[in-house]
Amino acid sequence: MLEKDMIQERGFKNLFADGRAVGFQVRIRTPYYRGIWASLLEGAEVTVDGQKFSPEEVKWTIGDKTYTLAELEKASNVRWPFEEAATLTVPKSGGLSAGLHKIEVCMLYRASYIPESLGLWPMKSERTITLVH
Amino acid sequence: MTPKFKLGVTLYSYTGDFMVTMTLEDCLADLADAGATGVEILSETHIAGYPNPSDQWVEHWQALLAKYRLQPTCYDCWVDSRLVKGRTLTAQESLDYLLMDMKLAHRLGFKMMRPKLGVVTDDLVPDPVWREMAERALPHAEKLDVKIIPEIHSPTPLKSKTVDDYLDLITKTGTKHFGLLIDAGIFKERHLRPPKPGDWVEPILGIEPRDLIPYLPYVHHIHAKFWQMTEELKEPTIPYDKLLNVLTEQEWSGFLSSEYEGDRAAFAGTQQIRRQFAMFGRLAAAAAAA
Repeated sequence: MLEKDMIQERGFKNLFADGRAVGFQVRIRTPYYRGIWASLLEGAEVTVDGQKFSPEEVKWTIGDKTYTLAELEKASNVRWPFEEAATLTVPKSGGLSAGLHKIEVCMLYRASYIPESLGLWPMKSERTITLVH
Repeated sequence: MTPKFKLGVTLYSYTGDFMVTMTLEDCLADLADAGATGVEILSETHIAGYPNPSDQWVEHWQALLAKYRLQPTCYDCWVDSRLVKGRTLTAQESLDYLLMDMKLAHRLGFKMMRPKLGVVTDDLVPDPVWREMAERALPHAEKLDVKIIPEIHSPTPLKSKTVDDYLDLITKTGTKHFGLLIDAGIFKERHLRPPKPGDWVEPILGIEPRDLIPYLPYVHHIHAKFWQMTEELKEPTIPYDKLLNVLTEQEWSGFLSSEYEGDRAAFAGTQQIRRQFAMFGRLAAAAAAA
């Protein structure tokens, strides 16, 4: 099952390489009411404690594969299922300290049945969640 | 006159609860308990493993339909014309997606499918490839006995080129496997609350439920859209009294599929569907007495 908010508390972690924290990961469920093909995604901007990371910096893990924004654009046969959260990986040297962090996510996708003149509808969420260690 | 229409629910009504507080079985148990006999699903939301659910999932679905005595009504799917950035899908590509969904709809026992088509104008004129896609899909629809019913949704009016073109396809081909799904939002009379600047809300089109009469022979399913049922069992925006009178008088026998689109507090759908069905009960009793 999923947490109601787009931003999931479960899975919020630092990412380590060679024993050093090189970034953090946060899971999001789709804020849309259906699962979609990954190529419909136009990325997500992530802000942690006021520091912004652009959609180009954020990598997406859907299922067991990880995609850059450019790779997502071509992933028209990859499903982001409604029932599965995706993991966003954000590079940040030293990672985040243990404790509470304010996370904001602004995600964009294309909906073909909405007039293009209305533009893309940003799906935003903001939540303070705990990084355990 | 006794109404001939039946009551269903689209699982869209449980958005916000599905996979958070309610499983698929919880949703089906809930709508059956409220008195619905039909269930509509969103392919990409409610089918685990879409578009290739396991045999075990399909058996689970069939077991749930039997347990709660539900008829599968309409299978909602999408033809994502903007799937590939920078271009739109060809007629062949659109057809491939449509047929993939048609086969899955058939496997799950549905007799109707609603493809949500990509649009090219502000009043939702579908991508012109729809016609070739639909014509080439019809032999498959006949073979699998699945009707293709695009949705007429605000701000598309009934008197429009879009609807005329759909009816032209039916007239020219003589098919019984293409028709319309009407979203009751087209009958909206007022806004629930004054829209804030920048909000997109469904406009008021000035369409009366009686205007639906000439189209009813082609209408196979209705989304009983609503935003809020009050404690007085009123829906303030859509004239359901008039709509139910028309459907009763015309002996329309399809499903009114309850589609709650309001605030997403936990278990809002559970409460709101019951209030809407209670309102329908009152209105149907009044129509029967008239």
